[in-house]
Amino acid sequence: MAPLLAGYAPNLEKFLKTLKGQSLEASTEGLIALLKRRQIRGAEACAFATARVLLQVVAKSKWTDVDQLLANVQKVGARLTHAAPRELVIGNIVRRVLGLIRDEASEERNADNEGSLMDSVSDLQTLQPSAATATSSGSQRPGPNPIKPTLTPAASFVSKSLFNLLSVVDPAESFTTGSPVTGSSTPIQQNSSATALKSEVIDGIEEIMDELSQADDQIAGFADVQIHPGDHILAYQPTATVEKFLVRAASKRHFTALIASGTPSPKGPEAYASLKKKLAAAGVRTVHVMSGSYAAYLPKVSKVILPAHAVLANGAIIADGGAACVARAAREYSKPVIVLSGVYKLCPENSSEVEDPIELGDSSAYVPFTDGPLVDGVDVESAVSELVPADLVDMYITNLGPHTRDHLDDILADHYKVEDIDFPLQ
Amino acid sequence: GRRGSVGGIIEKDPRSAIPECFSHIPMAKRIATSQAHKDVHPAVLALGQQMATFTIRDSIARLKYMLLAFRKVIEAYETPKGNSLSRHFIPHVLNDQIEYLTACRPMCFSMGNAIRLLKAKINKFDIDTPEDEAKEAMLESIDNFINERITLAEFIIARNAADMIADGDVILTYRQHRLVERALLQARHDGKQFEVSIVDDPFDQTGQMLAKTLRRERIRVYYSPHMGGTQASIRRATKVFVGAEAIFANGAMQGPAGTCDVCLTAADAGVPVMALCETINFDRDRVATDSLTYNEIDPERCGETEFRLLFDTTREKYLNVVITEFESETGNSPAQSI
Repeated sequence: MAPLLAGYAPNLEKFLKTLKGQSLEASTEGLIALLKRRQIRGAEACAFATARVLLQVVAKSKWTDVDQLLANVQKVGARLTHAAPRELVIGNIVRRVLGLIRDEASEERNADNEGSLMDSVSDLQTLQPSAATATSSGSQRPGPNPIKPTLTPAASFVSKSLFNLLSVVDPAESFTTGSPVTGSSTPIQQNSSATALKSEVIDGIEEIMDELSQADDQIAGFADVQIHPGDHILAYQPTATVEKFLVRAASKRHFTALIASGTPSPKGPEAYASLKKKLAAAGVRTVHVMSGSYAAYLPKVSKVILPAHAVLANGAIIADGGAACVARAAREYSKPVIVLSGVYKLCPENSSEVEDPIELGDSSAYVPFTDGPLVDGVDVESAVSELVPADLVDMYITNLGPHTRDHLDDILADHYKVEDIDFPLQ
Repeated sequence: GRRGSVGGIIEKDPRSAIPECFSHIPMAKRIATSQAHKDVHPAVLALGQQMATFTIRDSIARLKYMLLAFRKVIEAYETPKGNSLSRHFIPHVLNDQIEYLTACRPMCFSMGNAIRLLKAKINKFDIDTPEDEAKEAMLESIDNFINERITLAEFIIARNAADMIADGDVILTYRQHRLVERALLQARHDGKQFEVSIVDDPFDQTGQMLAKTLRRERIRVYYSPHMGGTQASIRRATKVFVGAEAIFANGAMQGPAGTCDVCLTAADAGVPVMALCETINFDRDRVATDSLTYNEIDPERCGETEFRLLFDTTREKYLNVVITEFESETGNSPAQSI
């Protein structure tokens, strides 16, 4: 086990500090231990930690060609995924990095083979559209045709994803040499080109990490379009993402926020204090609904906002326990349910492929261990997360903008390579 | 006088903090005994305090203790000279008691129904009915009412509901409800083999008491402390039993907050929902289509920093069966038929 800072419970921040000067194996083991003990948990933290470790894999592990690098990333990625099988974002980040390596490698080859300008342009476009969007203001990537963030990205993404699909299905088109995807028949000229690839991939992973840290801000950018004056917005157990969204909306709109906590927080009414303070400062009323039930409030509510742990390919989401009840109540009263999620939480898995999305958590907050008859004879099940079926969700807002369910496929196609969809089952 | 004024300075109006969008909903309120109307009977005075503090909270319990307190009021009543009981008792005695009780906590529908029946009974007395005879008749009608509409009703409903439980069933219920608890115990007593899955309200964990009671009878119990487990628990369940606070004229059911969420989830999963309710809780005059029409605010959580409603309303389409004490062909009646 990795020598982590002793004495206090480690978290993401402390983990990142230990990374410096540590061997790759120690960092991997360290993260696996933290994931297993749930000391790093939650989509954001897991995604960031995964990206950070994969960066080390690229930088420190031994590899001489693309295939070795892909194998290394897959190996470490699979170990991380197994350490926390319920944190689906870990797999997403691994897939993103794998796709990134494939893109960079094919770009190298094209450059080597004096590929046409058109090919490199299209590669640039297919490469990390969201990362490019994320960093478009200060883009490190001088493209001949820089992608601008757009509020209605639907059209451009559809065309891109179509291109992606074609290019993946027909490798001859994207690899002008006609080489198979394995790439082994066109070995990269060692050293110089491997170093170039390494630095390109590292840049790419850094862009992914930028995307992670900017996702919340970008999602918040779509707030004032969706929230109208006079709305009553029910936010179920708001996360940092929802907090930014509401606060941004509050700067432009006068609405009432109903913060629903389905489970009593140990902090009591002090929970969500910073959110309430920020909203109050912007002149937005908040009502902290302390109730395990939601249907009663929905007639007054105009929109429901759910933060997602993960969004699945068919549109179902994994969210805090109780979210499905909120969504059902919203459907009963025909109120829209808006899911906030960074693109990195969008998983290629379908809900039927996720075994048991319900995570049972610590129940000691509800049933004291001193209560013999309850502890002894009753199966206490406190669900921390559950699956919200796709038909209960009306809209998804990611850092790329608002999407419908049908649009999720296009985003998936833009972000993951077909070869990597099956990871970590490979 | 003194205690009241001191209290008045310390306590500002608790309603002032209620968010505007819920400001139409009534709320229980503690009234200092010294501020009550001078004609409120001591038994009613005590009962009002117990209702305001939720010591007596269940709708049927409130009804029963109100009737018992009215018995005391009737026993202590003497018609003033030159008046008739049938003309004097209601406006000058009973109404003060009712007003006080309503101020302590908004009346539940069964209390309103019982009061209406009692008043009708009194109004029927001839103006010349001797006082003793009238009092005797009133007391008797209250006793009959308690026996028939409360005690016997509970017994029959438990019996009817228990008959609907079959071996191998997994019964899901929400929180602890007296009728559901009796039905489950009755079924167990009949030798039925079944399991119970309890979903609880994390802010008011009465379900734990039910869990313990059932465990004592060696019934296997799953307990989910909050709504997060509803979806998973429903998939395991074969039937859902819920206790109703009231049933409106359109067949919609008022239940403890969260009942509607459970019923919606059950409908999605195709699990039948049985609502258990005494007919005294049926309201023929009121119609509710959502939970904000008739509700109550939790007096413990009534501000913007903490807010909670006590009830919610489930539309009739989500109730498969309403089990009451009246026997029709099957012993049960669909909600709309009542």
